[in-house]
Amino acid sequence: MRKTGYLHDMRYMLHDTGPYHPEMPERLMAIYDGIKDGGLLEHLTLISASQADLKWIETIHDKGYIRRFEEICLSGHLTFDDQDNGICMETYATAFLAVGGILDTIDMVMEGKIENAFCAVRPPGHHAETNRAMGFCYFNNVAIAARYLQMRWGIKRVGIVDFDVHHGNGTQHIFETDPTVFYYSIHQHPSFAYPGTGREFENGALEGKGFTKNSPVLPGQGDDIYKMLIQKDLIPAFDHFEPEFVLVSTGFDAHEDDEMSDINLSSGGFSWIMETIMQLADQYARGRVISVLEGGYCIPRLPELARNHVGILLNT
Amino acid sequence: MFVSNSMVRKVITIDKEASLFEAQERMSANKIRHLPVVDSQNRLTGIVTDRDIRSAMPFSLLKGDDNGKEKAKIAALKVKDIMTANPITISPMYTIQDALLMIQREKVGAFPVVDSDGTLTGILSVRDLLRAFVNVLGINEPGTLVGILVEEKVGQLKKIVDAITEENISFGSILVARHWEANTRAVFTYLLTNNVMRVKKKLKALGYTLLDPMEWYLDQLPKAVEEQ
Repeated sequence: MRKTGYLHDMRYMLHDTGPYHPEMPERLMAIYDGIKDGGLLEHLTLISASQADLKWIETIHDKGYIRRFEEICLSGHLTFDDQDNGICMETYATAFLAVGGILDTIDMVMEGKIENAFCAVRPPGHHAETNRAMGFCYFNNVAIAARYLQMRWGIKRVGIVDFDVHHGNGTQHIFETDPTVFYYSIHQHPSFAYPGTGREFENGALEGKGFTKNSPVLPGQGDDIYKMLIQKDLIPAFDHFEPEFVLVSTGFDAHEDDEMSDINLSSGGFSWIMETIMQLADQYARGRVISVLEGGYCIPRLPELARNHVGILLNT
Repeated sequence: MFVSNSMVRKVITIDKEASLFEAQERMSANKIRHLPVVDSQNRLTGIVTDRDIRSAMPFSLLKGDDNGKEKAKIAALKVKDIMTANPITISPMYTIQDALLMIQREKVGAFPVVDSDGTLTGILSVRDLLRAFVNVLGINEPGTLVGILVEEKVGQLKKIVDAITEENISFGSILVARHWEANTRAVFTYLLTNNVMRVKKKLKALGYTLLDPMEWYLDQLPKAVEEQ
């Protein structure tokens, strides 16, 4: 069994997206219950959140944007930038806790206290652009983590795998011209799903050309196509890039029972993806993997999906 | 929706006395495929396309087998020898719809835009029309496409728009297309949101059928437009 961290903090539930919003606090309890009922909690190193230092958030986001986000939360507005992005007075502080928790988790991996980790944070991050909140996301948690790994820990090549059913437009755009961060995403085809980016021909720009890879999946497809695309697109890309650290944007919304998408991954399909990522991380990144929660909205399915996910990190 | 809003105004042109090689260089340097030919008063006299140039080149030259004699013959060719004189033009006050239908009918890749006295004021290519169409579809903005099958009768769209508006969702675009079943229409709403779960349930509760995304298509028009 491996030493696996689990970032879990009740304060992540303080971010209130408003009534009937799918990105609800209950998601984290469902995940926690699944891990606990699966008997995995005792094997995990529990990590609680801490506030991120503003300077790390500023490595990705514009100062003006961060200020705007703070002001709009504190002034009692209920949405930020788009109607989708439900906020409350606590959202700004919670977003800092999400980033801070992930950066602490990175420290623990780099200091050898744990080998890998699952960060069950809210709010999610992969849609957040440097200067715009989008798709329930405010700070791009994974992008900040990648920069932190490079600047604080001297990691040269960071590989990001994003299997949320929606394309991580924010993460892609942030690293589009950067050959030191490889962004791979597999998601529902952008002609049929939010946010409308992540087409096959989007493969980076300038020096970053060839360091972004997208595998769009047509509606109705599931395990077979995911396996085929990951074998064809992700594995050769990482074989060539040789990431020293792997960050995972984990979304459970491609599940067949999740109504946010038309993709039909089974629970077993999710496990296969994560096992494949772990093999790549073992091969190139000395097993250093941090998985960060993005989407996944089917509350009845989240316990089982989270349990399997963490079980694979633990290598039970 | 007028051509004047979508056309390219800084037109790269060529003189009819210029050589074929000059025309070719100007096209490749500017990544364009059409050069309007104008006189000294900027009045349109013809158009030369990359296809005209390729047709004028002997195969041996295209292949790169450098043959001095062939090359000299081609070098003597001028734009006026290969251009289309009196090309089809459009007016800046044509609508984008006019231009779309014209391009489909005439099977050309671009129209020079001239005003009433024949002065070249712009050029509108398939590329510009595509840009306008991307804009109409709204797909430059993040959103989700939801296809809804409706009976072809008055008032259907209002119900759909009301149901979606009640969910506080903005529209990027709405397209209504013919459906293969008689008396039905396919309504494609491009919704500027990530959150379509509730609205989909609501539409189903109102009795609408959501289209299976894999069976979506916009229309069955013959594929008449060949890109040039």
